[in-house]
Amino acid sequence: MNYFYSILLLFTIGALGSLFLGKKDQAANLWGNLFAIAGSVAGLIFSIQTLLSGTTPILTVPSAFPLLSFTFKFDQLSTYFMLIICTIATLASIYALGYVKHYYKKYNIGVLGFFYNIFIASMILVATSHNALFFLIVWELMSLASYFLVIYENREHNNIKAGSLYFMMTHVGTAFIVLAFLLMYSVTGSFEFEAIKTGIVHAPSQITNLILLFALFGFGTKAGIIPLHIWLPSAHPAAPTHVSALMSGVMIKTGIYMLIRFSLFFLPAVPLWWGLLILILGAVSSLLGVLYALAEHDIKKLLAYHSIENIGIILLGLGSAFVFVSAHLYSLAAIGLIAALYHTLNHATFKALLFMGAGSVISETHTRNIEEYGGLIKHMPQTALFFLIGSMAISALPPFNGFFSEWMTFQSLFQGVLRFDVLTKLTFILSAGALAFTGGLAAACFVKAFGATFLARPRNQEVAHTKEPGVPLRAGMAGLAALTIVLGFFSGTVTGFLNKVAASLINLSGTETMIHAQTQSVNIANNFAFISMPQIFIGLVAALTVVAGITYLLTRTQKVSRNITWDCGSDLSPRMEITATGFSRSFITVFQKVLKPLKETEVEYDDERMKYFPKSNAIHLELQDIYMPYIYQPLRKLVLDTAGQMKKIQVGYTNAYILYILIALIGILFVLAL
Amino acid sequence: MHYLTPQISLIFSTLIFGTVVLLNLTKKDSIAVKLYMLQSAAIAILLLLSSFQKLSLLLLIAIIATIAVKVVFAPYFFLKLIKRHPSNFSHSTFLNTPLTVAVMVLLSILTQASFFKPLIFLSPSSQDLLFISMATILISLFLSINRKGALSQALGVLSLENSIVSFALFAGLEQSPALQLGITASIFIWVTIASIFTTMIFRQFGSLDVSSMRELTE
Repeated sequence: MNYFYSILLLFTIGALGSLFLGKKDQAANLWGNLFAIAGSVAGLIFSIQTLLSGTTPILTVPSAFPLLSFTFKFDQLSTYFMLIICTIATLASIYALGYVKHYYKKYNIGVLGFFYNIFIASMILVATSHNALFFLIVWELMSLASYFLVIYENREHNNIKAGSLYFMMTHVGTAFIVLAFLLMYSVTGSFEFEAIKTGIVHAPSQITNLILLFALFGFGTKAGIIPLHIWLPSAHPAAPTHVSALMSGVMIKTGIYMLIRFSLFFLPAVPLWWGLLILILGAVSSLLGVLYALAEHDIKKLLAYHSIENIGIILLGLGSAFVFVSAHLYSLAAIGLIAALYHTLNHATFKALLFMGAGSVISETHTRNIEEYGGLIKHMPQTALFFLIGSMAISALPPFNGFFSEWMTFQSLFQGVLRFDVLTKLTFILSAGALAFTGGLAAACFVKAFGATFLARPRNQEVAHTKEPGVPLRAGMAGLAALTIVLGFFSGTVTGFLNKVAASLINLSGTETMIHAQTQSVNIANNFAFISMPQIFIGLVAALTVVAGITYLLTRTQKVSRNITWDCGSDLSPRMEITATGFSRSFITVFQKVLKPLKETEVEYDDERMKYFPKSNAIHLELQDIYMPYIYQPLRKLVLDTAGQMKKIQVGYTNAYILYILIALIGILFVLAL
Repeated sequence: MHYLTPQISLIFSTLIFGTVVLLNLTKKDSIAVKLYMLQSAAIAILLLLSSFQKLSLLLLIAIIATIAVKVVFAPYFFLKLIKRHPSNFSHSTFLNTPLTVAVMVLLSILTQASFFKPLIFLSPSSQDLLFISMATILISLFLSINRKGALSQALGVLSLENSIVSFALFAGLEQSPALQLGITASIFIWVTIASIFTTMIFRQFGSLDVSSMRELTE
């Protein structure tokens, strides 16, 4: 157990040392990130060892404060999330070694290293803490560290704005989490997770329902579930890229982790409505997330919206698991839970990879606008390859990892369609439909993102000066790209391992096994569905080899001549290419009832009076924000009005304030005696 | 050996109750400060008697610190302030003396209400002592509510803290010496800051009557 303390110590030394080195850019960068790598690798080894040993170590340090104890429990779920955090943090930190250089002489590198190390350590603590008060402390630590990372580039006004929104939303979420834990405390009389789990069984259903709703608001805000997502598309892009990778890939998953902890650990007898609600939210989040991504031309925002989409996909697996648990179909619940856990890991890898790819492009082109890229594949071929792998994985194309976890999610939803009454069946059908739609739209979105960024001709002069990023950046991306392939190829092995994690949360004893996972294949529900990722991989490689071989055989004797493309007598220019906006326009038109697009046409004529010959024609297409005017602004108005009314009791006399205390004291005693 | 017998406890709790009643009635700030000094001394003796059973060095340090801060340091600072600004301390009240007495009687009766009963269950054998301590808490709060002068209000808050300590002691809610030390340290800091603050408030408003500080609302 001292080993775990050593991991935390590495991050602490990394944080403090980095802060101490301050503006010595090179030294602070090396110190901060090398310690982050060391801590993450140590955490990775620790989590693998713990998972393989099958033990559940517990570590408790008593505190001087009542109800608070520094309790860590490394059960299968906690350790699995720790594994994800440490894996992505290792590769993100390698990437950061090179990426942070572009902040030299502009911002304080020591501060970045300080908050970065604190951020990783706090995420590990969130996943492993087993006392509610301690959890709330480290949750707050994680929120604050990430907030300071979001506003790191503090000369950008938009970053400050994004940070403020994130700060506000995360604390609203925390308020709900506090309420959930207080309700649990009122029933169990303890903040220890184990005591809560034991004591909560006697809680009336109204209380447990309220706890679940508070948890959904609290952790759903962190996870970015629609409509609680409003902070995410602006906060994730604002942070430095390696932090965006961690926030989008890992931090939002802590919300998912706690939803699992609440639903299957604390309250294992979840009601049906809870599962259905999660399914609906998953379907809405996945579909709307990908649609918003399609309309986006800021590459980091586009990726942030895809995080919402993927959280939706995770919720689809999770929601189906909850529905099955409520119906006591535990072996089927395991399929949904494994799908959710697998997609959590997969999304962390390919999203971190995509963010790093985008970051490499941004650091070379100095813009986040996709419309100003184009033709980057000639200058950054390796980055293009890594981005392509990430794009194919997120689009759920075989043989990459995203394909397998989405396939598993489909299987879980199909099992729901087969087994329930009309209303529940309909929810499963609609969820499966939403997932199918989402997969297609995600592929379309990444055709746009990859095409507009790396293919065709450059649309910006900066592109001509771009080059492949440094070794650390490519190493970070290469590691994640390799992981994306490995997690796809060995999906059978990973599924077998995740079955153990699921079994630690769902009582599978005495139930018929519905998942038969081996290295070479996975069989669902007694041959209802079967897949072999190695076979798919080998088949695809063989098909590509055959096609390449035939092409070679047919063309080897042909003489290749290169000529200039016939261009109707005019010069080829970037204006002839389809833009990212143009590409997504048809999709936006189809979904205009949902997306509420705002189209602005700008025409400039040679002669303003005649208006026959347009000099330039531009269309600005953007989406109307429906959440602010319809949800958050009315809420804000309500809060302000209430605060205005409450202000009337603020009379300015201390006597009056003490009188309020006296009245409150007597009032509380009176209520408690009822 | 039990030094804190029921008889001794009753004498001291009555003394503490008496001081807070007189704090409400007195018209002289210097007497109010001395009454607080007496009240704090009573609390310190109660703590000392209860500590004899435990023979804890840390508890002894906490008691010495309590005496140093509450009986010596805080009254000394308040008396110095009164000496420096003799005509500027307001001892006026919102309610006149008969009404003040009436409210104190009502608050004392209120402690017998049924909704206070759960607190008595903390230590049923010390029922009378707990009633007196609760009445002391409520009347201390009332002191801060009824007085217009900043110093009287501050004394009300400090008296409230003493009342809570006596309640905890009689209810058997053992306070750790570390907690007692922490409270004493916070009072020390608070009195220091308050004395500086009082001077600043006086410079700004030309008065220490809180009802004349209307700008504080904005």
